[in-house]
Formats: sequence, C-alpha cells, structure tokens
Amino acid sequence: MRWLGLGIVVAVAFALAVVLGPAHVPLAELLTSDVVRSLRLPRALLAFLVGGSLALAGTGLQALVRNPLADPSLLGLSGGAGLGAVVAIALHLANPWALPLAAFAGALGAMALVYRLGLVGGAELDPRVLILAGVAVGAFTAAVTTAVVSLSDAAELRNAFLWLWGGLSGASWDSVWLLCVYAPLPIAVLLAAARPLDLLALGEEPARHLGADVESVKRRVYVAASLLTAAAVAVSGVIGFVGLVVPHAMRLLWGHRHRPLLPAAFLGGGALLAFSDTVARVAVAPRELPVGIVTALIGVPVFVLLLRRWTAS
Amino acid sequence: MRRWAHRTHLAGLLLFAAAACGRGSRSAPSGGLTVTDDAGRAVVLAQPARRIVSLSPGVTELLFALGAGDRVVGRTTWCDYPPAARAVPSVGDGLNPNIEAVAARHPDLVVLYRSALNETAAAQLARLGLAAVLVQQDRLEDLARTARLLGRLTGADATGDSLAQVLERFASGPRPPPRARVAFVVWDNPPVVIGGGSYLDQLAALAGAANVFHDIGSASAQVGLETIVTRDPDVVVVLRDSAGPPPEPPGFTRRPEWRAVRAVRQRRFVYLTGSLFGRPSPRAPQAVAEFRRRLEEATR
Repeated sequence: MRWLGLGIVVAVAFALAVVLGPAHVPLAELLTSDVVRSLRLPRALLAFLVGGSLALAGTGLQALVRNPLADPSLLGLSGGAGLGAVVAIALHLANPWALPLAAFAGALGAMALVYRLGLVGGAELDPRVLILAGVAVGAFTAAVTTAVVSLSDAAELRNAFLWLWGGLSGASWDSVWLLCVYAPLPIAVLLAAARPLDLLALGEEPARHLGADVESVKRRVYVAASLLTAAAVAVSGVIGFVGLVVPHAMRLLWGHRHRPLLPAAFLGGGALLAFSDTVARVAVAPRELPVGIVTALIGVPVFVLLLRRWTAS
Repeated sequence: MRRWAHRTHLAGLLLFAAAACGRGSRSAPSGGLTVTDDAGRAVVLAQPARRIVSLSPGVTELLFALGAGDRVVGRTTWCDYPPAARAVPSVGDGLNPNIEAVAARHPDLVVLYRSALNETAAAQLARLGLAAVLVQQDRLEDLARTARLLGRLTGADATGDSLAQVLERFASGPRPPPRARVAFVVWDNPPVVIGGGSYLDQLAALAGAANVFHDIGSASAQVGLETIVTRDPDVVVVLRDSAGPPPEPPGFTRRPEWRAVRAVRQRRFVYLTGSLFGRPSPRAPQAVAEFRRRLEEATR
C-alpha cells in the first residue's frame, strides 16, 4: 500500500515535470515537441536522479554517523564542490564541462580531507570526529570561496553564487547518460549495506558482536555516499534539504529498517526534486526560482505533517 | 548669479520652477554650495570641489566629459575610461569602498553609486568631515541628472547643463523600427537575462533591437532555458568583461541543451564589452552606434 502510494507520487511528479513548463506545448504534440524532447525530458530525469541520489546518500550518512543532522553539506562536500566551481569560473576555463568537473574534483577533495581528519585519534571514521571535520572543512572552503569571489576581477563571479544555490538548468541528455553510467555502482553499494547499517544503529560494539564488519561498512558507505553526492552537486549545484529531510520523512513511513528505507528514500527524493523543479520552472514564469527554495518550501510542511502524525501515534 | 537666483527665489518668482527641479542646487545661507543628492541627503560644499574621489566608473567618465578630469584624485579599479583616468590612483572597489583609502586622497568631495552599503559609507565619510554625494546610475535618464549635479558641484553649471541637454535629447530621440529580436545572456547556468528595467534594454531600443525579455521589469532575472527557446531571439547578446582577443562563441553555446535555442544553432552572437555597454555613461550615443553596427553584422 505504502509502496503503491509512493509509486503513484513518483509517476505523478514525473508526468507533471514533462507536461508542465513555461512554454505551452499541447498534449497532442508532447512526443514530437523539440522543447520536451531536448529540454524537459532530460531535465525531469536528471531531477529525479539527483533528488534520489541526494536522499539515498543522506540516509546512508545519517545511519553512518548516527546523527539526524547529517547531510552532504554538513560533511563538507557541498563546500568543496562550491570552491571547485568558483575557481573554475575565476580561471575563465572556457570548456563547457570545466565547471561540473571542477565541482566534482572539489567535492572529492573535501571528502578526502574529511576522511583523513576522521582517522585522527586512531578510531577509523569516528562519527563525532567525522562531523566536526566536515563542519571545519565546510567553513574553511566557504571562507576560501568568498575570498576568491571578492578578490577576483571576473564579473561573472557574482553569478557563481546563483550556481551554488543549485538548479537543473544545465540538464541535457549528456548529463543524464553520465549519471546513468556513474551512479549505479555507488547506489548498489549503499543498497547492499542495508543489513549492516541496521546493525550499526545498535552501536559499533554490538554490531561487531553480531558479525558486521564495522570498519569496512563505514568506509564503503562513506565513500559511496560521497561519490554519489559529488556527482549530484557537479551536475546541479548545491541543492539543500533533500538529503536531510527526505530520509527522515521516509523513516516516519517505513521505520528504521534500511532494506525498505533506502529504496524508498531514493524514490521519495527523486519525486520531491522532480516536483520542486516543476514548481521552480512554472510558478513565476517567465522567471525561474532557484530549486533549493522550492524543495524547502514544499518539503518542510510535508515533513512537519509527518512528524505530527508520528508523535501523535 | 547665485545670489540673484537666491533673491528671486525668495521673491517667489521661481517658486514653481524650483518645485519642479527640487533636486537642483540652491545657494546655502553661508554662501557655500548646497545640493540634494539622489538619496535625498543635503550636501554642503564651501566652494566648488577641487579634489574629487569618484567611486563609480560612470561618474568618472562624466567628470572627464565635464572637463573636471584634472580634479579627480581617486577612482575605482573599474574606472577604465577615458584612458587618462587610468593615471589616477585607484582606491579599490566602488561598492562598499575602503573608507581609509578614500580619506587618504584628501578629497573635498566623494561621489558614490547609490546603494544600501554605500549609504552607510557616505555616512562614515560624513563623520570624517568629507562631503559625500550618492548618485543613482542605473538608467539612461539618470545620466542627464547626474551631469547637472556634477556640473554644479564642480562650478561648471553651464557645461553640466549643456551635456545634460545633449544626453536628454539623445535619450528621447527617435527609436528606429526593430531590425532584430535579441536576448542578453549574462550567465548560462542558471540562465540569467537582462530585463526591461535595465540600461541595456534602453540601449537596445535605441539601436533597433527588441529585447525579448523586455516584459521582465527588473534589470536582470533568472529564466528557464525553455523560455529562451520559446521567445526565440534572432541574436544572443553576450557581455564580456573587456575588449580582449577576438571573440569566440562562449563556452555554454557548445553545451547540448543550449542547441535548442535557434540563435545559438545559427551562431548569431553579438559581443558587447562591459566598459562601454555595462554602465550608463556619456558614451551612450557611441554605444548605440556600435551596437547597431554589430547587430547589422550579425543579422546580415
């Protein structure tokens, strides 16, 4: 029943994303329209993939650090990606793929740094150290980003902040195929870690006694979630909120077992971002809203509703 | 002359005219010079300004055009015209300026672009005893008013008035029938375009180009790529920082999603440099002529 509901939500969100847009395309011409084929369809697919990836990564990270506040921006990834993008713009790299690649490299750099700091003190990937390291790296990259923006004389940098707020206007079939080739591996790694993540929720010692290879699971989940987030940020900028709240919303509906939770988070995150992007494109047409605003405006009320239902029962 | 104006003003003869140009200057009771700037602040100068720090590239151009270039003792990093302006020491940025660097030039007048941060800066300068004037510099019609204001502040009232008249005549001149529909793309991801509330939109109209986003009231706005495709401009106008090597199609036009825009597929681009086109300046007529020429090249 819950799965059927989620399936319907996904289908409706996707259909709306294809049917609605600032340009008027009659339903009869939906399949032949160039606007739909080359712009709307790849954008809807990319929104779904990015939203799903962020929510899935968020679910994994929250289980890993056993902290409800964990999300990609808390672990420094978004900051690293933003720094990479701003440096690419400041250096006037003209290649159309320079910006996403630089963002990806920045996110991986931040990931490596946080991971390395997480090794401090012997215990590998201590959740507390990981979060502190993430916050520290995030603050540092934010400072360097601002320094680059204020010192560089490239007028375009004012607009770099627009990119940082996130958006899917860079969607093309190329970026969809890229993500389709890239994402399955980290997604599979995360889905396969469902059982050990359940055990990890009991604490590291109990999990170890119950036969989980704790260190290896933590490492796999951390790297897979980071790789997934880095790719999402590279193609769409920093879209907040999806990775933080969708996992919680899905936990309220599906409980704490990761076997159903992880795929549900992927579908829920995809539906939320696809729907939010439709609103962002249509609500103030011919203008467009940054999609991160919409994810928060739609997601928070839904989340509050679920939270009320959950605390009432 | 000023005293005469003062007396007739008292006599009430010019009351109506004074009400019509409420932002104009009047002689101060002390015999100095009082003007009201675009932020509504009354600014008093004991005498016409001799050492001016200009914190806006457009103001620098106007001061040189008024023949007061030799009184400019400080400028921003962005003040690159006329060439003589580059010889003036730079005090850094014009928005949120470095107050100490400005004060170190010992100006008797500081002219700032009107913005919230600069209103704070003007108040700080006033506390240091430095006269600071805030000018609105966003649209074509701001030019003539600023020219008059700067003319009065430098004691060149007549020059200011005549420059203002030239600019006013130009701004209200005939608009040629549009020969092309254009979209100004200032950023590609997300797409940001120039709207109807901008200086560039006005230049386009005078150059015979119709901005397809004229209906957007603000100076610039984020729009969807799909909207650009639907508005179907004949030409995509790209703004560049400076006149550098021969223009190449910008990187974003090689991205597959931008191929949906007809003007991008047909490689119809017009490149405009920020120095001439990005800010209201007395070179507006030159900018329009240049725009028209490049438009003809692109649509031939």
